[in-house]
Amino acid sequence: MALDNLVITPPPHLRSKEQTAVAMRDVLIALAPITIAALVAFTYNALFNIAVCVGSAMFFELVARKVRKKKVTLSDGSAAVTGLLLALLLPPKIHWLNMIIASFVAVVIVKELMGGLGRNIFNPALFGFVFILIGSGFLASWTGHLGFLPGGFDGVQAATPVAYIKHGLEGAPSYAALLFANYGGAISEVGCFWILLGGAYLIYRKVINWVIPVTILATVFILAYILGSDGLYQILAGGVMLGAFFMATDWVTSPMYRWGQAVFGLIIGICIVLIRLYGGPSGAVAYSILIGNAFVPLLDRAFKPRKFGEVVAA
Amino acid sequence: MAELKTFQGGIHPPYNKELASGKAIKPAPIPSEVVIHLQQHVGAPCEPLVKEGDRVEVGQKIGEAQAFVSAPVHASVSGVVKAITEVPNFTGAKVRSVVITPDATQPEFQKKPGKDLESLTAEEIREIAKEAGLVGMGGAAFPTHVKITPPSDKPIDTVIINACECEPFLTCDHRLLLERTDDLIAGARLLKTAVGASRVIIGVEANKMDAVDALRSRASSYRDVEVEVLEVKYPEGAEKMLIFALTGRKVPPGKLPSEVGCLVQNVGTAVALYEAAAWGKPLYERVVTVTGPGVREPANLLARVGTPVSVLLEACGGLVGNPVKLIMGGPMTGWTQPDAKTPVVKGTSGVVVLTSEMVDLGEESECVRCGKCVEVCPMFLSPNFIVQSTKRGQWDRAEMWGALDCFECGCCSYQCPAYIPHVQYVRKAKAEIAARKKK
Ligand code: SF4
Ligand code: SF4
Repeated sequence: MALDNLVITPPPHLRSKEQTAVAMRDVLIALAPITIAALVAFTYNALFNIAVCVGSAMFFELVARKVRKKKVTLSDGSAAVTGLLLALLLPPKIHWLNMIIASFVAVVIVKELMGGLGRNIFNPALFGFVFILIGSGFLASWTGHLGFLPGGFDGVQAATPVAYIKHGLEGAPSYAALLFANYGGAISEVGCFWILLGGAYLIYRKVINWVIPVTILATVFILAYILGSDGLYQILAGGVMLGAFFMATDWVTSPMYRWGQAVFGLIIGICIVLIRLYGGPSGAVAYSILIGNAFVPLLDRAFKPRKFGEVVAA
Repeated sequence: MAELKTFQGGIHPPYNKELASGKAIKPAPIPSEVVIHLQQHVGAPCEPLVKEGDRVEVGQKIGEAQAFVSAPVHASVSGVVKAITEVPNFTGAKVRSVVITPDATQPEFQKKPGKDLESLTAEEIREIAKEAGLVGMGGAAFPTHVKITPPSDKPIDTVIINACECEPFLTCDHRLLLERTDDLIAGARLLKTAVGASRVIIGVEANKMDAVDALRSRASSYRDVEVEVLEVKYPEGAEKMLIFALTGRKVPPGKLPSEVGCLVQNVGTAVALYEAAAWGKPLYERVVTVTGPGVREPANLLARVGTPVSVLLEACGGLVGNPVKLIMGGPMTGWTQPDAKTPVVKGTSGVVVLTSEMVDLGEESECVRCGKCVEVCPMFLSPNFIVQSTKRGQWDRAEMWGALDCFECGCCSYQCPAYIPHVQYVRKAKAEIAARKKK
C-alpha cells in the first residue's frame, strides 16, 4: 500500500482555513474602498504616497529580517498593511523623506526590534505617524519651516475638519460631506462611508469583532455631547473611523478578552475627546490608540476569563 | 426550531460523516496474527496469564489486572500464543503484548445462559464490568468498573450516555445506536443500577436524527430514560461540556463528573456492558470506523482487538489518492501512525486516512494575538498564554493560564491562524508541572 508519504504530527489533524496571511489580505481588501476614494481625490499625490509607504515598509521588513537572520515574513502581508495604513494617515502633500522615516520607525523600531509581528506593544503605523508628527512640529519650532524638510505637513493639518471641533463648527463640512466627500486632512479623510464599508467586511469575515469599534464610537459620541460638543461630527470627522475599525482592532496591540476590549475602547474614546477638546487637534486619534496600546498587558491580566466551572472564592 | 442544547465555545469542523454513516456494521476479517497489548487502558499494565506455545480460546483471559485502576485483557481469537513481546502501540510507546496465531476456523461466539438483568445488584454489575475487561470505548479507555464505583460521599443521580460522536468522520457509535438500540438502552440501565442513579439521559447530536427517532421509540417504554438532541458542535461529547449541555451543571476545574452527581459513558461501553451481563461476553472486539478520503470503501467494521490496521484497510478496498495521515482515532484527537502495523485496541474508535487535499501542514509562526483560540476554548482557558509560558519555561504561569484544565480537544489549534500546535505545548507543560509537583 502506498504509505510512503505519512507524516507524524500532534493533533488536531484538521484545521480551519484561517491563516495570518489570509487575515492580512482581508485587511487589504477592506482598505480598498477608502484607498480608491483617496486615489480618486488626490490622484498622483495619493498614489505616490502609498507607493513610497508600502514600498519602504516592505523593504525595511525584508532588510530587518535578513539582518536578524530570521525567516522573511513578507508574505504574511503585515508590512504591506502597515505601509498602507501609514500612507492613509498622512496628508497628500508631504515630503517623501518624512514617509521613509515614519516607515522605518514603524517597521524596524516598533515591530522588528520588539521581536517581529506578534511581539510589538504599539501599533507600528500609528507610532511611525506620531513620530514624524511630533518630530516635524518640534523641528518646525526652531528651523522656522514646517517639518523635517520643506513641505512638512502641519500646515495642511491645520485646515482639517478636526480643527473646527475646538473652535466651533462655524463653516465646517456637513455630515454628508464627512461621509462621502473630500474635505482635506489626511488622504483617508475622503468620506468615512468607505471606511465603514471596509469595517463591515472585516466583521463579516470575522477578522475583527465589533466590541472595540463600537465602544470607541459610542464613547466618543456620548462623551462629546456630555462635554457640549457635537458627537456625531466628532465620530465622522478626522481619523476616528479609520482608527476604530483598522488600528485599534489590530490583533497584536489590542486586548485578548471581550471585557478587556470594551475597556480598551472606552479608554481610547475618552482620550480622543479630551485631547481634541483640550489639547491640540492633530493626531488625537493616534495618540489615544497608542495610549490604549500601553494598557493592553494590564487589561489582559485584569480580564482573564474564569475557567469553565470555576467559582469565585467567597 | 427550538434552540438545541449545547455549551459555549467550540468549533464547526467539516464532519464528513456521510462517508461511512450509511454502512451497516460488518465483521472484519480475522488477521493472520493478532497483537494484544497487555496495557490497553489508563492505569496499570496487566501480567500475562499465558506463555509462548499455549493454546487459547476466544474470550479467554490472557492478562490479569494487577491494580484497581486496570482492566484484564482477553484473547480475541482462538489460536496459539506465538510470542510475548514488546510492540509499539498507537502512541508509539512500546508495550508488552501477546501475539497470537489464530486457528484457520474461528468458533461462533456461544452466548452464556442469560442472567435476569433486572435483578443484578450494583456490586454484581461492577464485577461483571471488571471481569469483562470493560474500558471507556470513546478513546480515553478508562477502566469502567473504576468509573462506576462512585465515591461514597458523592451520590450520583444521572447517567449520561455520550452519543454525540462529535469527532468528525467517525460513525461507529451512530451505527450502534441504529443497530443495537435495545442493547444500548439495556446497558445504560445497568450503568444506572451500578451507580444508584435515578435517570438515564442519552445525548445525541442533531446530525443523527434517525438514531434519535430509533432511540425515542424504544425508550418510550422506560420512564427513566430520556433522549436529548444536542447542537452539532465539537467537542459536544467532552464530558464536562456534555454534562453542562444536558443538565446545566458545571464540573469544577480538576474535579470529576461525580462532583455534580453525573456519570458519563460512551455508547460502545454501554453496549459492551450489556453483552457482558446478558451473554457473558468479554470485551475482545469492537466497532471501528475505517474512513476518510484516502479509503476506497469506508466501512464500520467489527474488528477483533489486536487486528493490525492494514487488515482493516484491505477489507475496505485499500487506499486511494495520496494518503498523508493515517490516524488512529478521530481527526481532532487521534494519533498519526508511521505505518499500518498498529493493532486495534479497546479504545480504537476509528481509522481515518486523510489525503494531501485535506491536510494543511502550515508552518508554525508567531502568535498574532488574534484571540481566536480564547474564543473557541470550551474550558475558557487562554491557549496562547499557555503556549507562551511553556516556551519560556514559566511553569507556574502555564498552570495559571489553565494548562492542567486543558483536555486537549484541539479547538484552539484548529482555529489558530498562526498554526500553533497548542496541544503539543500543553502536554509538555502538564508533564513539567506534574514532575515539579512530585518533588
Ligand atoms: S486549550 Fe485545551 S481545552 Fe482549550 S481549546 Fe485548546 S485543547 Fe481545547
Ligand atoms: S489563535 Fe493562535 S495566533 Fe490567535 S491568539 Fe491564539 S495562539 Fe495566538
